[in-house]
Amino acid sequence: MSLLKRALVLMVAAMLLPQVQAADESDSLSVDMIVSKVNKASYYAGDDGRSDARMIIVDKDGNKQLRQFVILRKDEKDEGDQDFLVVFSRPSDVRGTVFLVNKHVDSDDDRWLYLPGLDLVKRISAGDKRTSFVGSDFFYEDVSGRNPALDTHELLQESDEAYLLKSTPNDKANVEFAYYQASINKETFLPMVVDYYNEQGEIYRKMEVVEVEEVQGIPTVMKSKILNLETDSVTYMQFRRPTYDIGVPQEVFTSRSLRNPPREWLEAKQ
Amino acid sequence: MEGFMKQSLLTFTMQKPKWVFVITLLLTAIAGAMIPSIVVDTDPENMLAEEQPARVFHNKVKERFNLYDAIVVGAVTEQGVYNPQSLQAIHQLSEGIARIEGVVVPDMMALSTVDNISQEGPGTIRFEWMMKQPPQSEQEAETIAQQVQRLPLLQETLVSGDDKATAIYVPIEDKDESYRISQEIQTLIDKLDSSDAYHITGLPVAEDTFGYQMFVQMGISAPLAALMIFVLMWLFFRNLKFVAAPMIIAMTTVIITMGALIGMGFTVHIMSSMIPIFLMPIAVVDSIHIMSEFADNYKEGQDRKTVVKKVVGHLFTPMLYTSITSAVGFFSLMLTPIPPVQVFGAYVGFGILLAFILTIAFIPAYLCALKPKALASLQSDAGKKSWLQKLLPKVGSKSLALSKLVTVGFVVVIGLSLWGITQIQINDNPVRWFKSDHEIRIADKVLNEHFAGTYNAYLVLDYEQGAAREQWLDAVNAIKHRVLKSDLLELMHTDEDLGTQLNEAIITLEDRLFEANDAQAKIIEDLLTEAEQARRSLAYFQQPQALENIEQLQQVLQDSGLVGKSNSLADVVKTVTRELKSGEQEDFVIPASQRGVAQALLQYQSSHRPQDLWHMVTKDYSSTALWLQLKSGDNQDMTRVVEYVNNYLAENPLPENVSAKWAGKSYLNMVWQDEMVAGMLGSLISAFVVVFIMMIILFRSLLFGVLAMLPLSITILFIYGLIGWVGKDYDMPIAVLSSLTLGLSIDFAIHFLERARDIYKQTKDFKLTMQRMFGEPASAISRNAIVIAVGFTPLLFAPLVPYITVGFFLATIMAASAVVTLILLPVALKATRRWAFKP
Repeated sequence: MSLLKRALVLMVAAMLLPQVQAADESDSLSVDMIVSKVNKASYYAGDDGRSDARMIIVDKDGNKQLRQFVILRKDEKDEGDQDFLVVFSRPSDVRGTVFLVNKHVDSDDDRWLYLPGLDLVKRISAGDKRTSFVGSDFFYEDVSGRNPALDTHELLQESDEAYLLKSTPNDKANVEFAYYQASINKETFLPMVVDYYNEQGEIYRKMEVVEVEEVQGIPTVMKSKILNLETDSVTYMQFRRPTYDIGVPQEVFTSRSLRNPPREWLEAKQ
Repeated sequence: MEGFMKQSLLTFTMQKPKWVFVITLLLTAIAGAMIPSIVVDTDPENMLAEEQPARVFHNKVKERFNLYDAIVVGAVTEQGVYNPQSLQAIHQLSEGIARIEGVVVPDMMALSTVDNISQEGPGTIRFEWMMKQPPQSEQEAETIAQQVQRLPLLQETLVSGDDKATAIYVPIEDKDESYRISQEIQTLIDKLDSSDAYHITGLPVAEDTFGYQMFVQMGISAPLAALMIFVLMWLFFRNLKFVAAPMIIAMTTVIITMGALIGMGFTVHIMSSMIPIFLMPIAVVDSIHIMSEFADNYKEGQDRKTVVKKVVGHLFTPMLYTSITSAVGFFSLMLTPIPPVQVFGAYVGFGILLAFILTIAFIPAYLCALKPKALASLQSDAGKKSWLQKLLPKVGSKSLALSKLVTVGFVVVIGLSLWGITQIQINDNPVRWFKSDHEIRIADKVLNEHFAGTYNAYLVLDYEQGAAREQWLDAVNAIKHRVLKSDLLELMHTDEDLGTQLNEAIITLEDRLFEANDAQAKIIEDLLTEAEQARRSLAYFQQPQALENIEQLQQVLQDSGLVGKSNSLADVVKTVTRELKSGEQEDFVIPASQRGVAQALLQYQSSHRPQDLWHMVTKDYSSTALWLQLKSGDNQDMTRVVEYVNNYLAENPLPENVSAKWAGKSYLNMVWQDEMVAGMLGSLISAFVVVFIMMIILFRSLLFGVLAMLPLSITILFIYGLIGWVGKDYDMPIAVLSSLTLGLSIDFAIHFLERARDIYKQTKDFKLTMQRMFGEPASAISRNAIVIAVGFTPLLFAPLVPYITVGFFLATIMAASAVVTLILLPVALKATRRWAFKP
């Protein structure tokens, strides 16, 4: 290659390169890819995990309620089926209450409930997942994850730090929102703010991430809150001592664990 | 004193009539300018002072349990509401209502907004919306019917027992918006494609609608009454110049009084809206007296000032006294602990005194300013006698001749009246302020036929927090670690309630536990146990025994037949327990342990409407509210419920540390009613005593004092006897009538006795005195009575019942007190003439 040719190639490359990079940044991630990354970052961190969790529900008058539980999770594969075990410790009257969820992406979830005070194991019908999670402003779906396939997503805006996604439900009959908008951190792919809009186009519900920490190299939401703007109630969710990839076996997520919660996996190992 | 006042006032007004006109006009203009800033208040809650304990508690309860005033919308169809068309319509309407500004959407209760908890096959529980989408088939509609029937909180509340009606409960942020919101709901209903009958009711609607109509009514009734008075005076006196004077006094009095009331920042309540109607007749009376006497006495060519001086001099004292006594009657209302009644009494009293001053100042000035020609036309045509002037002397002579019969007659009337009074039913109900054919009354009737009741009362049970607090404080005080101890104690010094304080202590301790070493961890864990323990003992209404007590209380209420339905935390716990267990009736029970209850309630909260729970119990479970649905808003019915429960609780006392208290609109209405009855009696008695003393001073005679009180005493007895006989409930307007009677009846008696004594002084002969009395004086009294009585007939056509009541009884009072005065006083004077007219 002649010097001239080299110089020419370099010149052309120099001219093209920034444009190629620019194109890469905006076009390389399709909406579907963003949504998929968000789903993974939010609900599929590591192959499994455990965390202590505490919810403080504050009503409009400042009255506080407390819910404390341990949450165990195991993924079959990323963005695939996964299992949850939620064991309550506070308030003390509900200590030992257990939820078991075998989440299926392509079919209805299996949900189980154990109430020690009534000595009762009960299957919960799949039905509606947008009901309150134990009286808080979180829905079941906020805890176990909403299937991205249920909504149609569009990228409204993109800044240096965040994507703004608008998600509209494919079937309006099963949800209470008209659409929601999520502001997604470009680095972590965690949704930092999610606003839920009603039919009148007003925000009536808002999720905010308050604190993110890196745990075993994985950006992890440590504190978040959901505001119900209709009732002026707010629920703070705090996670503590989260760990990933602990190797929790599959049999922990069967109905046997309801009456006999697996202590060794529930307790935090420091 | 009186003489001096009279002289200086008269001199001023007759020397400077223009000044009098300018001052009057100015005052009227200033006061009139205040009127546009009128604020109407129709909230019966304001019948109680803001710091009244029952009202304070009621509002605390509303806040504590997030309770809102609610509009009730009902759809009724004979074929039953569980069909796709009806449910489609109610679904559509609910969605529309949810978009109305000012509706508390999360708390709206309709088939499409409530949750269902049910069994889905064996061992499976299902939480879902009761009717997220309207059903497409009869079968789907039938499924909803079956599900509602299983839920005791919904059955008979959301759907009627006969399935023919379904309701939407629309809680609203501000009850003063109920009229607007109900109108918007009506617009939505009108757009519905449904053949079902829709009704809107609920106390807030009744109250706010009443306020709206009251405003309209004020603009119609008061001017109409003025017109009527004008026409009547025209018929009597046939002279525009003559009639104009009293009309000017009446208008000026009303404008200045209302302007002052509004300008002083008082709201116009149903009572004060009637001030113009009360003031107008009282205001015209004095000027009619002066004008009549002037017309009788003035002969052409006379010096009018001399005649005016003579006439006013003659009438000043009786007018002063009638005005003061009438004012006293109304001022006495200020002793009743009902703020709107106090304002009403104060301003009517003020208005009466104002009318007196205006009459004394304005009428002489007016007479002096008239052109001589106009003055001449005022003279009464002595030759022509009206039917009244022909009739009255006969009445006088007949009653004197038959004095024994008259006496017996009055004794009988008194006896019958006393019996009637014993029959009086003390009762009020804001919905009954509308006529029975008003749409609100119809809605009220129809919906309460179908549902358990649209009227609400709450029985609030409170657990004494002291023990739980002590328990926790003891544990904290035993801590050795100073920082931890002071931090925990500090948490206890906030305004928050104990439950929240304990939760905050738990949160703090948990956070410390995170960083603690083993030794500290042990201490913290012990404290956590203590805090949880205190929290559990505070959660009294999570305990099975407490819920069983509530269950019993509800059963007692149901058995009493006085309550349509009661809803409680126990109902929730039993329903959830049943569905968690087998779904069968045998499991419709309260769990055996507090943990069982807590866990059932945790499931209840896992619904679309977790906040529903907090309408029944506080978050720390130390206070619970039983919601009672009543079919009637009558205070009497509420009183029966309260008495019944009180009796039950006296025989079956609540545990020592639990107290029961009432709240709710129906209860508040009962409280102010009770306060009003007691207060009115106090007002009446004190006014009676004051007026009696004034009469003794005025006539400087005990006998004349007694005589003066006679007609009004009999009139009051008669009016209230009549109310008992007719079976009209003793409500707010009726209560106020006693003062009106006192104020107006005494006028006639004063004029009659004063004139009788005057004439006797001239004639020294009783018979002759009476003959003359039934000339001009009796016809003046009768004319006044007729003007006022007939002047208020427009009120009878008002669409609002309190106005009709006032109109009817006002007319009756005027007629009765004139009749009693004219028939009884001559007889009484005859019987006592030896002492009455001592030489």
